[in-house]
Amino acid sequence: MKSVVTTVVTAADAAGRFPSSSDLQSVQGSIQRAAARMEAAEKLAGNIDAVAKEAYDACIAANPYLNDAGQANSTDTFKAKCHRDIKHYMRLIQYCLVVGGTGPLDEWGIAGSREVYRALNLPTPPYVAALSFARNRGCTPRDLSPQALTEYNSLLDYAINSLS
Amino acid sequence: MLDAFSRAVVSADASTKCVTDLGALKEFVAQGNRRLDAVNAIASNASCMVSDAIAGMICENQGLIQAGGNCYPNRRMAACLRDGEIVLRYVSYALLAGDASVLDDRCLNGLKETYAALGVPATSTARAVQIMKAQAAAHIKDQPSEALAGARLRKMGSPETADRCASIVAEASSYFDRVISALS
Repeated sequence: MKSVVTTVVTAADAAGRFPSSSDLQSVQGSIQRAAARMEAAEKLAGNIDAVAKEAYDACIAANPYLNDAGQANSTDTFKAKCHRDIKHYMRLIQYCLVVGGTGPLDEWGIAGSREVYRALNLPTPPYVAALSFARNRGCTPRDLSPQALTEYNSLLDYAINSLS
Repeated sequence: MLDAFSRAVVSADASTKCVTDLGALKEFVAQGNRRLDAVNAIASNASCMVSDAIAGMICENQGLIQAGGNCYPNRRMAACLRDGEIVLRYVSYALLAGDASVLDDRCLNGLKETYAALGVPATSTARAVQIMKAQAAAHIKDQPSEALAGARLRKMGSPETADRCASIVAEASSYFDRVISALS
């Protein structure tokens, strides 16, 4: 799982040396930002159902054709699955906040997603709409501190970019 | 390879839940500087720690450097020093990451079988690791023994904490114990 620490350790191991002071500096940089990430992760974990529901509702409202017969949101089963997918992305973003890198999104969300969505004939613009809604929904200081919101939004941007 | 944070994520993912128990990770973050100082203490004293550990092991068992011993001739002694440094290096990685996976995957996996095949005595290896464990604790606490170090006494001089980084010392010791139990 890619994170600052594992990247540093992999590089040090490849060179066969002990962690150098520059290695320790990069880990410290990650640790300094960790407090904001933990705050965002904690808030997101506590409210993930509401966040995912809002994003899902917004994306269906923006793409009402999805409710038509034969479309991706037409039946109750499909609706539940769409909602689950949005929540899945939010959970991976929570993982990324904890890890301090995009490893979880890369490995469990993005890798192979293009093939899966094509095979299942799912449109990606509604995912982008849902994540973009979440991206613009956060408000400081109501929801999170400025630094925490920045970390959260940049991960949403990363997920949006991977889908568009 | 995992660190303390990705370990939490991987176990949360097994039940498709968010990471809810953030207390331990916040503690990790709060004690981040202690951890970095501890890794620095090991890395900065590594060569001294390794040579002392191997010398100590041999002092207690002179047969190792007599003909037929496993540290005789120089070529095998050099291999021994090299292995001591490798073990210490992976322990320092594990301490930096806060997780033993790098130590397990890249160092200990198959080490016992390799040593058995090469005829390296497990008890001597374990003794050298034990000495390094005691040294690591002394350096992380920044309390190297004045009686034993003599003129070579060297202190890091990093800011002292009231409990002398007891939790980091315990964690580092657990990684050394992991090496010992993997070898025996």
